[in-house]
Amino acid sequence: MTDEVLVVRAQLGERAALAELVARWRVPVWTYVRRMLDAERADDVSQEIWLAVVRGLPRLREPGRFAPWLFTIARRSVTDRLRGQYAREPETLTAGEATAEDPVEAMVDRAGLISALARLPLLEREVLVLHYLEDLSVEDCAQVCQVPAGTVKSRLSRARRLLRAHLEEGDRS
Amino acid sequence: MNEREEPRLSAREMVERLEPSLGIGRRVRAVAALVAGVAGALFVVALWWSEPGPLPGRTQVAFGMFTAFCLVWACYGGWLVRRRVPLFATDRVIAAWIGLAASAATTVLAVVAAVQRGAAVPWPVLAVGGLFVAAALALVVRAHGRRAALLRRLRELGGERER
Repeated sequence: MTDEVLVVRAQLGERAALAELVARWRVPVWTYVRRMLDAERADDVSQEIWLAVVRGLPRLREPGRFAPWLFTIARRSVTDRLRGQYAREPETLTAGEATAEDPVEAMVDRAGLISALARLPLLEREVLVLHYLEDLSVEDCAQVCQVPAGTVKSRLSRARRLLRAHLEEGDRS
Repeated sequence: MNEREEPRLSAREMVERLEPSLGIGRRVRAVAALVAGVAGALFVVALWWSEPGPLPGRTQVAFGMFTAFCLVWACYGGWLVRRRVPLFATDRVIAAWIGLAASAATTVLAVVAAVQRGAAVPWPVLAVGGLFVAAALALVVRAHGRRAALLRRLRELGGERER
């Protein structure tokens, strides 16, 4: 059963469909939050996110776009917890910078990515998590992060570069 | 830092934690506060307006306080329905019908009270009551429309519930 069917059924008031949505998206949401925060806060923030999802679900106009909507809510909750830190993150690249195809792409496997992620700046870490771990498209990431697609691409590009540096550093040590 | 890589709560536990927001009692309380607040305010204003003679200051204050009290409950109920308590499509249909029934009953009561107090045809009461009934009717139509659209979409997606 697709997410859209589950969302529509939940919007009609079917409790089982809502439970199924929670079961399906609980771990991805927690994983995203965990990559941005520590494990203890991840549990609390995940619960906040699901509460906001339940409250907002009746007003979701495009059930087919559940995932980006869900991560937009998740991002808002994470941002609330990181307020200040997020604001200070420098935007070092200009929006619209081309995404260069990079050999490091091949190195971006999940295990390596996870261990190196914590060392990336927040904004770059966020797009990596959304794009690679949660499999959201660049357009969906742009919607979640409320920035143009070009900015997402430039953050991804910078994130990959930083990641490569960290991975190479790890290999040397 | 704790490096735990699994959520602490299972899906079932998470749904259980969401229960307070999903419970029927909370939804009933929210809708009841909204409907009772609006209906009460309308009724008190109708009584106040249709008083035959000039009222003493204290009575005026009492009417004013009753009206304000009812409006506070209406605002609280509206805030709950809008922000805190999810009303899903079926809930909205039920809530809209409750609103329509309450609007009609309050209008009838207010008209009866006004007539008993000497007004031949209480036009202002009828006008305000009619406005509320029309608004409630619009909510009923909208709630049914939204529910029908969701059911239609569900059929298109092939996700119809087994009956």
